[in-house]
Formats: sequence, C-alpha cells, structure tokens
Amino acid sequence: MKKIFNGLFYGLKFLLLIAAFALTLFIFIRMNMRLNKDIISVLPQFVPFLLLLTLFIINMIFRQEGVTKCLFYNLTCCLVLTTIVLVSLRAILDTNMVLNGKYGYGIDFNFYDNFLAYIDIMLYGLVLSNILFMFKEKVKLKSDINNESKNLKNA
Amino acid sequence: MKKLLLEYANTFAYTITGLVFGCAFFLLFINFYHMQELSETVDISAYNDTNKVSVESKLQTIKDNIGVYNQSTYRGSLNIYGLNNVQARMQNCVDMIESEDMMKYFELDELGIKDSYNFVVDYKNNILNDCLVMQIISMLNTDTVQSLTNYNVIFPFVEVNVNNLLDSVDYVQNNIENSDHYYFTTDSNKNNFFDLVEDSYSTTMNSYQDTLDLLVEISVWYRNIVLGG
Repeated sequence: MKKIFNGLFYGLKFLLLIAAFALTLFIFIRMNMRLNKDIISVLPQFVPFLLLLTLFIINMIFRQEGVTKCLFYNLTCCLVLTTIVLVSLRAILDTNMVLNGKYGYGIDFNFYDNFLAYIDIMLYGLVLSNILFMFKEKVKLKSDINNESKNLKNA
Repeated sequence: MKKLLLEYANTFAYTITGLVFGCAFFLLFINFYHMQELSETVDISAYNDTNKVSVESKLQTIKDNIGVYNQSTYRGSLNIYGLNNVQARMQNCVDMIESEDMMKYFELDELGIKDSYNFVVDYKNNILNDCLVMQIISMLNTDTVQSLTNYNVIFPFVEVNVNNLLDSVDYVQNNIENSDHYYFTTDSNKNNFFDLVEDSYSTTMNSYQDTLDLLVEISVWYRNIVLGG
C-alpha cells in the first residue's frame, strides 16, 4: 500500500511541477506585459522551480532512494505544488474576486501577490530537505551492508 | 561522528518537510474556504420587495412634486428659468434612478459578492456622481436657482447631506475589493461583524434610500416655492 501511494505521489509531483511552473510563467509574463518590464527581472522567481526540477532529475537518475522512497517527502511535494496550481488557477479563473474583472487583465495579481512569499518559502524548503534526504540513503545503505555482513558471519 | 551528523541532517530534513507540509496544508485549505466564502449567495427577495416598494413610492412623490410646475400655466413671480432648471434636473435624476441599470438590482432574488460590488459601483456612478453631483449640486450653483425663494435654507442642507452621502459607501467598495486578500476569516467574524455580501448590499441600499429621501426633500422645497410663489 505504501509503495503504491509512494509511486503515485512520485509520478504526480513531476506533472504538478510542470503545471505549477507553466502557470507561474504565464502569470509572470502577463504581469510583465502589463508593467512593460523585462522578463529577466522576474527570473529569480523561477530559480526554485528549476532547482527542484534538477534535484528531481538527479534523484531519478542516481536512484536516490532516501528521497524517492520517502512517502512523506513526495506527499509534501504534491501538496505544495497542488497549492501553487490552485492559487494560480484561482488568480486566473475565480471571477468572484472582483479585482479579477475590475482591471481587465484576466488575472488577479493582487491575490497572487499574497502567495508569492509562501511559494518561495515552500519551494526552497523542498529543495533543502531534498538535499538533506540524499544523505539518508548513504547511512541506510551502510547500515544495511553491516547487517548483511553480520548475518553472513552468523550463518 | 559522521553518522551522528547524518542522523541530524535526516532529522532536520524531516523537520523542514514537516513545516513545509503544514504551510502548504494551511494555504490549500484556506484557499478552498476563501473560494467557498466568495461564492456564497444570500436570499434577498423579501428585502428587495420591501425596498422596491419604498423606492417606487419615493419616486412617485418626487414626480408629483416636480409635476406641480408647468411653464405654460405658471403665473407666479419666481424666475421661470430657475424653476425650469430645477424641474429638468430633478427629472434627470428620476430617469437615472428608474433606469434599467439601477432597477435591475430590485429584481434579484439571490445576491452574490459580485452583485453587491456592482451595486455599489453603479450606485456611486449613476446616483451619487451623475445625479447628486452633476445634476443637483450644479443646479444649486446656477444663478437662476440661487434667486429662488428659500435657496439659503435648502442649499446648506443639500450640501451637507450630499457630502455625507458621497463618502458613505467608499468603505463598502474598499472592503469588497480587499476581499481578494481576505483569507483569514471565520464564520464568527462574518456573523458578528460584517458579512461582505449581505451587509455591503444593505449598507448601500440604506445610502440609496437616504439619497431618495434627500431628493424628496428637494422636491418638497420645489413644490412649496412653486405653489407659494
């Protein structure tokens, strides 16, 4: 059961990361068009997304089981990315927020702005914990090897 | 030592993940709550029926009062340009109040936050700005109207009331616009303090009724000077 959930969240986090990144990019492009600003000025906002994607790919390539088999981490990733997707979709689609329609941009930047700091905090938190979880594997692997050698000696 | 540090790193990683989990969990569900709160509708059919009757009654009073003057039959001593001016401006106000843009709100049975907001905006544009400021205040500032009887009594009364009415619904509009940021709310807050949908609408409606009362007062003044002069 745990393996099934872990596999589900592991696959889902890639899809959600792509969706969250695409929606964030769309909102920032629209916001920059409105302000006539260069897209380079908002590139730091995408750094945590790119870091997280890089780490996910490293986890996948090097089969870092300390991260990939951590159900709690995968669940948290899905929760964070779902929140980002929901906030972005609400900023675009929730017409009950009156400022969405008032200024005629089709996106409620005032609402989205509220969550920018939280989004950064959560994404950098995931990046940091991902890096720390990478060491877990080594510890566990060493302990596994020790256990196996003990078992062999006993036999 | 190395193993201990790695164990610490692992604990630290779980702690950070836990904190991020808590933050995401809070934001996700507070968003659902906020979404549900903003999509709330209130049944106002009975409230609207009462207000519609009151508005129609006041409009009829205004029409009756300004209808007492007829330029072709008037034989009094007052300046007819002034009387014509007041009658035409008051009629413009009545037309604005009776327009489809304003009367459509009385047909609503259910009210959402967007309806409350649109009502405030339309009330401010059509009634406060176009009627009170553009018609009534500018009317009272013309020379011909200033020569009418009891102008010195009606003008300060109207001026004070208009100034009060102009600011009366600003906070309602600001509150609704700020509802986009309003995601730390509770039901007890809504019940005890200010329900954005229902209270915004009733506050605007009260101001709307006050505006009509002011127009009735002006029309009574007009009727008195026409019949008296």
